[in-house]
Amino acid sequence: MKLFKSAAVAAFAVFVLSGTALHAGGVLRLDEVAVGELDPSKASDYADSILMFNVYDTLVIPRQGGPGHVPHLAESWEGSGETFTFRLRDDVKFQSGNMLTAEDVVFTFDRMKHFGQGLSYLFTNVESATADGSSTVTFHLSEPYSPFIASLVRLPIIDKELVMANLGEGEGEMGDWGQAFLSANGAGTGAYRVVSHNPQEETVMEKNADYFLGVPDAAPDTVRLRYGLEAATVRTLIERGEHDIASQWLPPEVIKALAESGAQLLTEAGTGAFYVKMNTTKAPLDDVHCRQALAHAFDYDVAVKLISVTDDVSQGSPSTGAIPVGMFGANPVGKELTRDMGAAREHLSQCRYDPSEINLEISWIAEVPLEERFALLMQANFAELGIKSEIRKIPWALFTEEVSTPESTPNISQIFVTAVTGDPDTLLFGMYHSSSVGTWQSPEYLNDAETDRLLEAGRTAADEAGREVAYSDLNRRLMELAPSIYGYDRQSVFAASNRFRVPALSDPAHAFGLDTMGFAFRLMEEVE
Amino acid sequence: MIPLVRRFLSRIGTAAIVLFGVSILIFFIARVIPGDPARIALGPSATSEQVEKLRAELRLDEPIWTQYAHFLNGLFQGDLGISLYTNRPVTTDIAQFLPATLELVIVAGVMMIAFGLPLGILSARYRGRFADGAIRIISLLGVSAPSFVWAVILMLLFAFFLPLFPIAGRLSDHLEVARVTGFLLVDTLLAGDFRSFRDAAWHLVLPAFALALSGIGQAARLTRSNMVETYDKPYIEMAHCYGFSERRIATRYAFRPSLIPSLTIIGLDFAAMLGNAFLVEAIFAWPGLSRYGVAVILRKDLNAIVGTVLIISATFLIMNILVDLLVSVINPKIRYGSRN
Repeated sequence: MKLFKSAAVAAFAVFVLSGTALHAGGVLRLDEVAVGELDPSKASDYADSILMFNVYDTLVIPRQGGPGHVPHLAESWEGSGETFTFRLRDDVKFQSGNMLTAEDVVFTFDRMKHFGQGLSYLFTNVESATADGSSTVTFHLSEPYSPFIASLVRLPIIDKELVMANLGEGEGEMGDWGQAFLSANGAGTGAYRVVSHNPQEETVMEKNADYFLGVPDAAPDTVRLRYGLEAATVRTLIERGEHDIASQWLPPEVIKALAESGAQLLTEAGTGAFYVKMNTTKAPLDDVHCRQALAHAFDYDVAVKLISVTDDVSQGSPSTGAIPVGMFGANPVGKELTRDMGAAREHLSQCRYDPSEINLEISWIAEVPLEERFALLMQANFAELGIKSEIRKIPWALFTEEVSTPESTPNISQIFVTAVTGDPDTLLFGMYHSSSVGTWQSPEYLNDAETDRLLEAGRTAADEAGREVAYSDLNRRLMELAPSIYGYDRQSVFAASNRFRVPALSDPAHAFGLDTMGFAFRLMEEVE
Repeated sequence: MIPLVRRFLSRIGTAAIVLFGVSILIFFIARVIPGDPARIALGPSATSEQVEKLRAELRLDEPIWTQYAHFLNGLFQGDLGISLYTNRPVTTDIAQFLPATLELVIVAGVMMIAFGLPLGILSARYRGRFADGAIRIISLLGVSAPSFVWAVILMLLFAFFLPLFPIAGRLSDHLEVARVTGFLLVDTLLAGDFRSFRDAAWHLVLPAFALALSGIGQAARLTRSNMVETYDKPYIEMAHCYGFSERRIATRYAFRPSLIPSLTIIGLDFAAMLGNAFLVEAIFAWPGLSRYGVAVILRKDLNAIVGTVLIISATFLIMNILVDLLVSVINPKIRYGSRN
């Protein structure tokens, strides 16, 4: 019996030791919020974009370390106003081995328009795309749209031949337009090919040896993009050396703890901000002086402290106005907004409502616990003006429904907004143009003709100087109207192991002015 | 007709009616949860036109009874619609995620039986002594702390401070197993890959134990209290007088009558774990149906909500029937009860 017990214990020990996980070599492991949408025509979230920028390529990409865009799949382009013509590179192969042609670009555009999902709204002004031979493609716009080139960073080119060979059932000649196939397989030219994809668990990718720009040896051989890991799990995995880059959604305390344990902190900034949005249609915030009073009473310094991770790194930087620093029309660093209780009281005295009778509803999105802190901060700040307020937690699903009418929209909402192409048009038009009201981006219900005019001028100006003027004026106008409190310019912070160097997320000279682009795996370098 | 078969058929009929009722309830409840599914699915950047287009595709602009009739029609053809969360057929999602949860829950169920019942027997057998006290404290801890607390504690103790077990997932990154049934323990054996089998089993230990702890505590407490009651019965005293061994009295005469309530609870716990596994699955990054179920509820993915709830309900009902049959087999009084 004793012998049996000893044997059992020994077997157990062998089982334990052999079961311990091995450290991966040449493997990059990162995580994001589920799910990972692999179909590039439907991609919109962060995880989708990571997949998109690695499995697919676009005609242009943002210039690294500076403003503007450079050709990528395109060799060059010309045109402005309503017509843009692109000449394609002749050395690009899809991962299937098919050569890239203009027909692929046209197919990709038609497919995106057909679904009308994801970021297809960026191409609302584009009427058609036509191929002229195998290497020239022309886009025809219904009206001049200056951010068009920037929008192309969200048009990943799909392998038409491969998709046509894998059409699923559906109406008409095009069946399902390859939906079923592309939700599980890659069909791009990207530096990484999909090995396996489970939208709730993980996507495994490996280097594409035939990538037209080549993939450096130092880049990870394999990438495992995991979905939906809990903060406690990520922390344990990184500390055990079994995970490399955490998502930006970790609580600041966890990021700080990881940094103190030796993790590096990667950052991505310049394309978004935190906005406290005021419903301009309901009393008392239909009075600009009341809004100005709140905007001046908001403690911007404390707000930034609430999101600091370490002494040097924060999840945001002080705001200088309605437009984040680095974009057209932004106020420069040095003109940060600060709390001014004198000005707040001055504006309040001009407000037509009696402060003692005001009771504001401050909402925060249930899925973003950080917003509760800002709600409490505002409650304390506004109380100093004698304004009462009630804090209300509201799930995202309910919030999107409530903001569909001005009557049901809370007095104050908190939203993080990002320019999906890096261009201010995709940040501001949806928030402040009177035609865009009633969405989660626009609970202000702003209806101001001058703001509309400047937003339209910003998207139709022929050159960068014209756009700079339009957005500077817009910034000034939005500061006067104060439909929002411009909380801070957002910066994503990622805790990461030291196994990889990521210049695009650690060195401003290599950064892209576009969210997620820094996660181009081919530009990462393994140091072990 | 044999009573057992008649009982089985009757329970199947009842289960079908319950399942039909659940389908109506969940179909309507899912539609009154606040939030527009099309808006949530398309994401914050979608335009109103895009949202309206998707609403039409989902038939959300049709009367609710028409929608239900369409759903039933699809259901009978094995089509639960497309999930807005994963953009795949709901049946594909369920086929992918259900085996992971079932495997976890089955292993947790085995643990409940393997630990809960013996602990209860031991506790009753050594009533009032140190072993009894220790087991009762352990059982109480298991019952009183929720599974996710145990999950975090177990992870910290046995995956972080003492790195014996893996932290996340079903299989180590460097291993691959061809999917046949979706149950990794089965697929690895089918492939003859014992290294992967061992790895998959090792990944199961912590999440399954965390999930089972509450049930273990419950089963141990219930078994103990029933056995303690049985120990006071005259026929046990008679057995003592006959000079039967303590082990024989405990396992043969005291345990069997106490087994029925424990078995019923274990059966219900087993089915309940399917739905309750969410937080354990989240903490251990387990790609299962519970996690999927919560994700689709948060996104108001109507087709997926209905599909997931129906599957969990069906499993619950099947477990109930099995437990019922098992109890009937163990206890003839129940088996023939309906005749009397």
